Amino acid sequence: MVDSIDKAREEFFSEAQEIIETFSRNLLALDAAISEGVKDPTLVNEAFRAVHTLKGLAGLFGAVAMGTLSHHLEDLLDELRLGRAELTRTVLDLLFGAIDVFGKILAAERSGSEAMPPGLDELVGRLRELGGSVAPEAGMVTDYELDPGMLAVLTEYEEHRLRSNLEQGLRLYRLHVKFDLATLDKALEEIKDRAKRHGEIITYLPTGESSSIETIELDLLMASHDDLSILIGALASDRIIVEEIERKPLVPAAFSSRTHPPVVPESVLSVPSGHPRPGEEAADLALVSPDRSLRSLTQTVRVDIRKLDRLMNIVGELAIVRNVLSRIAERVRAEGQPQISSELLRVHRNFERRLTEMQDGILEVRMVPLGQVFERLSRVVRQISRELDKEIRFVITGSETEIDKLIVEELSDPLMHMIRNSIDHGIEDTAERARVGKPAAGTIALNAFQKGNHVVIEIEDDGRGIDENALMQKALRLGKIDLTDREQLSREEVLSLIFLPGVSTRERADDVSGRGVGMDVVKTNIGHLGGVIDVQSEPGIGTKMTITLPITLAIVSALLVRVGEQVFAIPLNSVSEALAFDGRGVRVVDGRELMGLRGQSLPLCRLARVLGLPDDSTSGRKFVVVATVGTRRLGILVDYLIGQQDIVIKPLGKTLAEVRGFSGATELGDQNVGLVLDPGALIEEVLLSGESVREKGLRAHG
Amino acid sequence: MANLTRVERRGHLRRAAAAGPIREFLTFTLSVDLYAVELTTIREIVSPPPVTHVPRAPHDVLGVCSVRGVLVTVVDLRKRLRAPAPPSSSRTRILLSETRSGEVVGLLVDEVRQVIRLGAGEIEPVAAVLGGDISAHVLGIGRPDNDPIILLDLNSIIGV
Amino acid sequence: MLRILLVEDSQSMRAFVSASVEQGAAELGEVELIQAASGFDALRLLPRGRYDLVISDINMPDINGLELLNFIRANEKYRALPVLLISTQSSEKDRQRGLALGATAFLAKPFSSEQLVAAVRAALDGAS
Repeated sequence: MVDSIDKAREEFFSEAQEIIETFSRNLLALDAAISEGVKDPTLVNEAFRAVHTLKGLAGLFGAVAMGTLSHHLEDLLDELRLGRAELTRTVLDLLFGAIDVFGKILAAERSGSEAMPPGLDELVGRLRELGGSVAPEAGMVTDYELDPGMLAVLTEYEEHRLRSNLEQGLRLYRLHVKFDLATLDKALEEIKDRAKRHGEIITYLPTGESSSIETIELDLLMASHDDLSILIGALASDRIIVEEIERKPLVPAAFSSRTHPPVVPESVLSVPSGHPRPGEEAADLALVSPDRSLRSLTQTVRVDIRKLDRLMNIVGELAIVRNVLSRIAERVRAEGQPQISSELLRVHRNFERRLTEMQDGILEVRMVPLGQVFERLSRVVRQISRELDKEIRFVITGSETEIDKLIVEELSDPLMHMIRNSIDHGIEDTAERARVGKPAAGTIALNAFQKGNHVVIEIEDDGRGIDENALMQKALRLGKIDLTDREQLSREEVLSLIFLPGVSTRERADDVSGRGVGMDVVKTNIGHLGGVIDVQSEPGIGTKMTITLPITLAIVSALLVRVGEQVFAIPLNSVSEALAFDGRGVRVVDGRELMGLRGQSLPLCRLARVLGLPDDSTSGRKFVVVATVGTRRLGILVDYLIGQQDIVIKPLGKTLAEVRGFSGATELGDQNVGLVLDPGALIEEVLLSGESVREKGLRAHG
Repeated sequence: MANLTRVERRGHLRRAAAAGPIREFLTFTLSVDLYAVELTTIREIVSPPPVTHVPRAPHDVLGVCSVRGVLVTVVDLRKRLRAPAPPSSSRTRILLSETRSGEVVGLLVDEVRQVIRLGAGEIEPVAAVLGGDISAHVLGIGRPDNDPIILLDLNSIIGV
Repeated sequence: MLRILLVEDSQSMRAFVSASVEQGAAELGEVELIQAASGFDALRLLPRGRYDLVISDINMPDINGLELLNFIRANEKYRALPVLLISTQSSEKDRQRGLALGATAFLAKPFSSEQLVAAVRAALDGAS
């Protein structure tokens, strides 16, 4: 039980860190604004808000020092935003100083130290001088024809903002808007953006008058320097009405804000008071049991992935140094100094060990759980299911499976597209589901697990499955296959038609999901990550997509091979075996070379020929590297097997973007560079060139 | 020493006043012609390390190489500009430049010469001076010592 | 099984409430806590389920807790829903307004897990 409270405290540290960073960015923006002589009241407001939130949280989690500092900062910022204090350079410096102290406070709580960080007292002292108690404000608010209902729901904070806007002479407007609940977020972002250019939206009040369950009506209270006509021009639409809130004639009227609500009898407040009266410090530790210390801490550090890339580069270069070291040892031995040589070798072994540890360490840092992406997807699923009016049950398993951060970043889009397609095309609507005896809610299951050096992600739905006939028709119509193909394609091949451009998008764009994103784009994106995608489907039962990805792009074990004069690297996670090849047992079927391997046929590919390199077919012994990606296999014929090496794959630049078959290049030592083969791309190229499915994009280009 | 520098700079300033803002160009040869690119676009000049051929790459890409761990795509500038090819010398160099997308591209040139300074007024517009399709890459012609130097737009050449 | 809708924009606060409710299982029984990170999310979640209690922070950006309460009380469907508002300790005005609008109970920050559980209990009792 205590664990979940500890976890909450950990979240607190993360959140506190984020708030402090936001506060810092805010101050920097204020700094810039001051130098340009620009006054931006929203910045001060945001700073106030940040500190205010921090104070609240600090109190909740018993962080005394943080609470104290936030409390005084809040007072000062309040004075600033009400215009009672001036934001001078000195004040700004003081605020920046507070950020340092916050940092020290966080560090102290992390290391479990109970001591107040140095500088806190001094800072608080100076803040106190500048701050001071907040005097009650004049009731300018009542000079306006504000709906008493609207006033009654403003929090004190919002009322402050309203007052400060009025004090600066801004006008008040009410925007009456009607939005769909489903697209509420987007609509609000839009109106916020547009409104920002003209003033400040103080609050949003849902009116409770919505006519249907799917729409919501809100009144927005806005302050602006602009005329009504300008605002109407900028903001009004068929869903948004802009009205000005007039200043009243100079006859004072009674407002509900003036009348006091009934005095509250103690018993209605169902929480025993125990909290300190306003004015006292945040001495809230009384509420937090004494043995709960802040020792449990966030141990996370946020790192820029580029820094990790640089570290990886250095590891790669150290690996080269290690190789040089071993060569020197050899030379020394050859020159008759066995003792020095064995010392060098010992150093080399030690170095090797440490280097591997460091490499593993860095790799580990790059790994993040897939849960990050999955969580985002849950929200998307909710949104899409409402958009498309289908009830969806979204089941996630394996979210703790880890994968390289760079891959994770690129995964959310393809996954989202696939899920959208699934909900859109796969899951039937409620009526149809009832008809076929399926539960009303469609299920989408997202599962992830590690398999050797790969991570497998499965997306499965219980929808209507892929209509193979419709698929073939469409492919026929688009000219991707011809009539003879229709007869000959296996089920698996038919299903993979879905990955051809144009096949999996709608012909007519409907206004909810548009044309949809083609599966060819998804496949290409997954390909860029070094992964492959497979599809299985059963009509009436459902569809399952399986994505197989390498765990990391950074450093991989590879098999170095030579073809002619050139050295290539083949990532070992795609290599199932390598064997000597003597040219016997090769058959040619349908223009493709096959060889027998333990009773099964293995398609062959002569690397030299495929890459357009001089092919030395006459030389004796060659080797076959069996590459396996997903369910497909290919035997790659090379001249020589050099050996295994850990490599850092560097991507090829845009200039070489059109070149297929390589996933990058790597340093081989002595400044030599070897190209890294992309077995997946090779397999596709070779296996499909012999097939009758015609698709120009999949062929090798010269 | 200090005095000399001051005099030089004043001289420059006078020229600048006459010719507009001064830009620095790095000159080099490609076969028989003199070319130059703006110095600020070059990040480094290196002796060519071993260049690995990339099969199926565009014809003017020589391949890739590594400079202190950074992968560089090497472009044969002669081929890209369609200049005739002479025998390569020991003085060939690779000029490294970075594209907007972060890729480091190396341009193979025959021999690097010196850095020259040209004011805006000293750069002749291309117009009909050069024919063919390289005019898209040319900023203009400079003649600091009367010999024409073809000023190239590097960003246009590396094409991204 | 108690279904509680928690409306709170601070992640750590949500975690704290969730943990507190877990700890209070003896008093509250089994609780399903549905979390909304904003007033808007709450507006989306309200029509989609049956709730026994709404816990809402007062101070949230855009739609604040008072506005949410107002919306709840103005609506036939949810009028009778017990609402526990969380306020900052220094804001008497917020509390007064909340009462005027029909809040069932208040909890002032900072509070302990036990206090939260007691407040939930009281809000549920107060409603019946």
